[in-house]
Amino acid sequence: MTKKTLNIIPIVVSTIALVSIFWWLSADPTKDMTVNLEGADNRGAGVAAQDVTIGELFEEYSSDYQPMNETWPNFRGADHDNISKSPVKLIDKFGAEGPKIVWSLDLGEGHSGAAIYKGLAYILDYNEEERADKLRCFSLVDGKEQWSRGYDVAVKRNHGMSRTIPAVTEDYILTIGPKCHVMCLDRENGNFRWGLDIVKEYGNEIPFWYTGQCPLIDNGVAILGVGGSKMMVAVDCESGEKLWETPNPNGWQMSHSSVMPYTFGGRKMYVYSAIGGIVGVAADGPDAGSVLWSTNAWNHSVVAPSPLCMPDGKIFLTAGYGAGSMMLKLSENNGQFSVEAIDEYSPKDGLACEQQTPLYWNGRLFGILPKDGGALRNQLVCVDPSDTKKMVWSSGKDMRFGLGPYFIADNKMFILNDDATLTIARPGTKEFILLDQVKVFEDAHDAWAPFALADGYLIMRDSKKMVCIDLNI
Amino acid sequence: MEKKNKAQSRRKFIRNGARLSLLLSLGAVSAAALRKVTTDGYVWQIDPFKCTQCGRCATECVMTPSAVKCIHAFDLCGYCDLCGGYLKPDANARSTAAENQLCPTAAIERKFIEEPYFEYHINEDLCIGCAKCVKGCTSFGNGSLHLQIMHHLCVNCNECSIARVCPSDAISRVQASEAYKVKGSWTNPT
Repeated sequence: MTKKTLNIIPIVVSTIALVSIFWWLSADPTKDMTVNLEGADNRGAGVAAQDVTIGELFEEYSSDYQPMNETWPNFRGADHDNISKSPVKLIDKFGAEGPKIVWSLDLGEGHSGAAIYKGLAYILDYNEEERADKLRCFSLVDGKEQWSRGYDVAVKRNHGMSRTIPAVTEDYILTIGPKCHVMCLDRENGNFRWGLDIVKEYGNEIPFWYTGQCPLIDNGVAILGVGGSKMMVAVDCESGEKLWETPNPNGWQMSHSSVMPYTFGGRKMYVYSAIGGIVGVAADGPDAGSVLWSTNAWNHSVVAPSPLCMPDGKIFLTAGYGAGSMMLKLSENNGQFSVEAIDEYSPKDGLACEQQTPLYWNGRLFGILPKDGGALRNQLVCVDPSDTKKMVWSSGKDMRFGLGPYFIADNKMFILNDDATLTIARPGTKEFILLDQVKVFEDAHDAWAPFALADGYLIMRDSKKMVCIDLNI
Repeated sequence: MEKKNKAQSRRKFIRNGARLSLLLSLGAVSAAALRKVTTDGYVWQIDPFKCTQCGRCATECVMTPSAVKCIHAFDLCGYCDLCGGYLKPDANARSTAAENQLCPTAAIERKFIEEPYFEYHINEDLCIGCAKCVKGCTSFGNGSLHLQIMHHLCVNCNECSIARVCPSDAISRVQASEAYKVKGSWTNPT
């Protein structure tokens, strides 16, 4: 090999190396890939808010009903704890003849539950034929319809339409419809007092699958978690006058969660778990409506259960869609409140609920785990608030439930499955004790609406049918 | 004369016998062929009601990508904007941007129908059978997304490597005439 040839070899090798490096640098291995960007679904611009004349429709059918004594005036009952304090004794077995259904009623598709006030039941129903929200009043004992008040509004099926429970006092009825229309009526005769279109007034987003927040009346004042330009508002039920509006600087949105009254550290407050975070708002005093504390540590895209506030300042938060749960600890020092998250976990690691708010009873928490709750999925479980990841007991793999309601009355726990199977259990802090179980009616689906109970009459529903069961012994 | 008739009768007997044998043979062959067409042995099938979406269908199948694919029962779907099978939990936005999609291969196509409905299609070529979408849909939705072994892709191993490890015993051999077990009234839109 000549010296000239030897000189050429490194030049050729260097040239090949340079070309290779250039080719390697210029080649794009992702050139055949499709970039996934937003907008590929051609999402629409949204539908403009409809002009709604709240309270425009009224029909009277009867004034004949049997007055009764007891009430279940709003979501989770009078004390907002889903525990009936009634002394009325209830059955613990249905017997061979099954549940005693005293009346049943076909409703528009949805999950709205009833409120009961001294012999009258109130239900916000969506009339699919008339395309109208209707607050319907029934006689509790025989189901005879008394009157209805409502308004035309177009609502498409989206896992049901109606899903809220009215708030009822001696004087007023307050409702929130699927598209955030608030209606306040006189309880006695259904006369219209005032209405509020939250979307138009505060520019909030209607929650997925429509409004799930149940309204609150506290001392004649309507308390609403609105989201949008304001966080929470208080409206005088008598006049419709706005008493205060809580600022919402972070633009948190309305959730399916409901506003819970809570007294801690010498202050009464309203606790609301919004989309974006959770807030405690002063309920009274010169600073009523101002934020006492807030945190964005709890921020999930769908929140249906309401905050469960315990006497020692612990607030249990839970939600579905993989969110899991969080335990907050509220502290007060010289009138100043602070809050910290002391525990947070995924749904397979401890007590979590997708739709219903857990129960706090005798110092323990009870709830039904969601479908992504691991090996204990869909089981009713009991935990101690000091460690909500450690199960005290679970109902067992042969006793699973769905997204339906559960509550305690006459020292019995009533649990409703999606298919309208009603279970009676003995609530206990040591073990699950089944008393009886019955299918209330056939072909039931999505029986998710919370229970209402007064004078021994239990109102429950599936997505299209409501029934009243006489549980009196 | 009588002798001739006897000979003819014997030939006729032999001829008829041969015809009958041929006919019987044809009948037997036809029956065997028909039986093969109607039963055609056994194939592997996933029971979507037993499936626990463990993800092993994607990793254990001898085919790459897996012969297990997600299919969609449109009649069960809620057509939700917030789809637990399409979007990651707590996604930043309900959009088609890659960071919001749960599917690792973007095999689910999302189309806006009208407020508030969206339709979801599975691109079978991209689906790897990981079941992430099935888990999301089952946990948070109506369970309309579910897995099936696609028999135009499956090589029908004597011992299905997925069935060996399936923790919920959701895979079993079934007659080929009932190869799919689907939810709702699903039909492959492609």
